[in-house]
Amino acid sequence: MHSLEDVQIGDNIGPEPLFLSKDRVRAYCNAAGLAGVPRFTDDELARKEGLPGMITPGNMSAALVGKLVTDWAQPMNGRLVRLGTTYRSPVLPEHHLTLQGFVTQVDHGERTAELDIWIENEDGDRLVTATATVKFPPKA
Amino acid sequence: MALDFDPAIIGKIFEETDPVAVSAQEIKDFCAAVGETNPWYTDEEAARKGPYGELVAPPLFALTFRNGRHFFQNIPRFGKGGFDAGRDVEFINPVRAGDQITLVSHVKEIYEKTGRSGAMYFVTVRSTVKNQKNEVVAHIDHRFMGRL
Repeated sequence: MHSLEDVQIGDNIGPEPLFLSKDRVRAYCNAAGLAGVPRFTDDELARKEGLPGMITPGNMSAALVGKLVTDWAQPMNGRLVRLGTTYRSPVLPEHHLTLQGFVTQVDHGERTAELDIWIENEDGDRLVTATATVKFPPKA
Repeated sequence: MALDFDPAIIGKIFEETDPVAVSAQEIKDFCAAVGETNPWYTDEEAARKGPYGELVAPPLFALTFRNGRHFFQNIPRFGKGGFDAGRDVEFINPVRAGDQITLVSHVKEIYEKTGRSGAMYFVTVRSTVKNQKNEVVAHIDHRFMGRL
């Protein structure tokens, strides 16, 4: 895949396995100014808030979805210009998750592709769903 | 049931945060935490050939800037509890090391919808992320929802 001309509706993006250890979630919190938010860093304090344990920040899920898109688009010089995420269920660390998606639209006039992306758990439940727009350079 | 709120709240800017400086180390830490290896964000030389012409932060770095204390105080609350439903982000310009970033926020919309499980409320707060040159980095719509 070198340019938008190679992209077809229905093309798969991923799937990629995703395992978020609690330490990795804490590393994201440290890097994103969320280190002081107990529901993202501490099981016991998260349970006191009525959660099953510490959860992954929505912005971390968005960052991982965004990374799947930018990894796909980079070899074609495509830029992520829009991302919409919907948080359906909490993303818990220490689970075997999958990150994947596919191309839903290609617009050769606007030089854009629309994508559907999601994070699912071992049971196939979609915890986070997203749509993204990638903008490609003018036809060479 | 109609939602009870002052319509003057819509569109009124309630927050402009103080500028926050972005360091190259913070961008590196973010890349490490999300497993970023894309050369546009990690390799100076490869980044020069990319669409930004220089090393920039990954687009989702724009979501790491904290809202000030006025943010949650100014989100109208209805019903019981409520939760973070998602984000809609438009990426305009990348963040670069050395940037000074501010967030300007307002309530974009408030509405209710009745579904199979009953009446729900929806509040969208828009934050515009800007750099020191007053260029827009991103528009971030934060969507909150809950039961009425």
